[in-house]
Amino acid sequence: MLLQQILNGIIVGATYSLIALGLNLIWSITDIADFSQGGTYVFAAYAAYFVVTLVKLPFIVALLLAMVLGAVLSYLFERVLYRRWTGLSRIQLLCAIALFFLMANLAILFWTAKAKIFPAYLKGSVKFAGVTLSYQRIVVLAVAAILFVVVYFFIQNTKMGKAIRAASQDREAAAVVGINIHTVNSVVFMIGGILSATAAVLISPLYSVFPNMGDLPLLKSLVVVILGGFGSVAGVLVGGMGLGLVESLGGVYISSAYQHGFAFIVLILVLLFFPKGLFGKV
Amino acid sequence: MRNTKRSPLVTIIILIVVLVVLAVLPQLTSEYITYVAVLAMLYAVLTGSYDILTGYTGPLTFCHGAFYGIGAYTSALLTLKAGLPFWAAFPLSGVMVFVFAVIIGYPGLRLKGHYFAVTSFFFAHFMYLVILNSIGLTNGPMGLGGIKPPEGFLGINFAGLKASYYLIFIYGIIVITGLWLFIRSGIGKLLVTIRENEELSEAIGVNTAFYKVLAFSVGAGVAGLTGSLFAHFFRLLHPTTFAWMTSEMVVIMSLVGGLGTLIGPIIGAGIVTLILELMRFAPELRLITWSVALIAVLLIEPKGLMGLIRRLQPGGRK
Repeated sequence: MLLQQILNGIIVGATYSLIALGLNLIWSITDIADFSQGGTYVFAAYAAYFVVTLVKLPFIVALLLAMVLGAVLSYLFERVLYRRWTGLSRIQLLCAIALFFLMANLAILFWTAKAKIFPAYLKGSVKFAGVTLSYQRIVVLAVAAILFVVVYFFIQNTKMGKAIRAASQDREAAAVVGINIHTVNSVVFMIGGILSATAAVLISPLYSVFPNMGDLPLLKSLVVVILGGFGSVAGVLVGGMGLGLVESLGGVYISSAYQHGFAFIVLILVLLFFPKGLFGKV
Repeated sequence: MRNTKRSPLVTIIILIVVLVVLAVLPQLTSEYITYVAVLAMLYAVLTGSYDILTGYTGPLTFCHGAFYGIGAYTSALLTLKAGLPFWAAFPLSGVMVFVFAVIIGYPGLRLKGHYFAVTSFFFAHFMYLVILNSIGLTNGPMGLGGIKPPEGFLGINFAGLKASYYLIFIYGIIVITGLWLFIRSGIGKLLVTIRENEELSEAIGVNTAFYKVLAFSVGAGVAGLTGSLFAHFFRLLHPTTFAWMTSEMVVIMSLVGGLGTLIGPIIGAGIVTLILELMRFAPELRLITWSVALIAVLLIEPKGLMGLIRRLQPGGRK
């Protein structure tokens, strides 16, 4: 029972970490808390659902298409909307929130509020030490781990990655030494979109697809960004997994009704006791 | 200040017209329009109180609807479960929400950037979860009914629509005048100073954290009082009334009208409430329209705002 809950927490936490990794990159470079990722998450899940159920393509194709969709949506939001207001982060934040609500409500309009069951793409499970772990859950962990490694190496070892790191430290200085900030913005938004879409498609077969499915993962991932600290891949990983564990264990041993409120309590406690300590920069 | 540029005479004439229309409205029109006017007045006070922090002091927040809800439920529960009269529960709900806001604002408002905006967004959802799940207390998703109207005095019976309409009308006038005086006071001027240049305010010895928490909590307290009136006017509360959307509605009303002008958000509240009522036939389109409208406002109006910001900072970027 305990081990099972720990595993569940880690799996949910892995999806928070994925979304939070993208949000963290975007936030640290453009100063936008990109709520629109919550909308991208919903659209990606629906896209994958229709690709699997209507077009009858395999899950892996649906996942890849959803990733492309996520990248395109996030790219467009940055290119068409956020970029107009460079330096006016209040307006960007309001726009991001409007996009988030717009997409969730468009999903209700297009596909109704009724939850859709995402068919299982991989049946069966492994049992060990009294714990059952379905293959689909293992896939969540595996894909999340792969993406984490890929993004980490991209940031550490490529030229664009260096530009991203430079821009996250000091935008203006980076621009002065010839880094194209617009390209950096586009790239981090696309990475964010891909990661959100992946998290959505991975989690959909475990739960279901519905218009407000993005609300809680978005909020919790934003909390993970605040907890984990800017520009810290390790912070995102630890924060996401930690939050997943708190929710999973708290939901069983404290209160299932407030499972989705724990993240907020953790956030307030951290803000109270470490008002500056947990951030890379203030 | 921005609003002094407009001719005061025009403002005064508009104010008098609006007040006269509102004063005679329940005598001349149907009950339905009276209800809509009540909603508009409640929203006007709500957005006016939101303007204290977000408009005049600076930080964006997304939890004003939660304060409204806490006030409504506090007042309803104090009368229903503790047997207090409305006239005791009403101020207590304002105090309760004020305290809540201090608890959230004290750790949160010291943070720079958008941390507090995100925190407040989550706070609104957290309060919704609490109201929804505390079934023993709030009756959860079934809604809380049986709330009594305010006790009458001097022969006035607030169970009737007209009397309670005028109660809210007078409340609105008193609160908005109070907010206006607050903004005109020394504290209000300090708040604008913080908005315009926080570092400078700190450098000249202003305790910016204190004043931000104060502005936040005063606004929240007013939202709590307004929620109490909402509860005892409509006499039925449901958690969804105070979910995210109420908070977002306050934000768009303020933006439509123009943040940091007090009168702007109040006018915005009136306009948006009317549009929402007109869209009652297509509820599924209301939130979509709202979101598109918000983006449109940002696209069209902030050009003026950007120009304003440029004018305020003649050297451009620092």
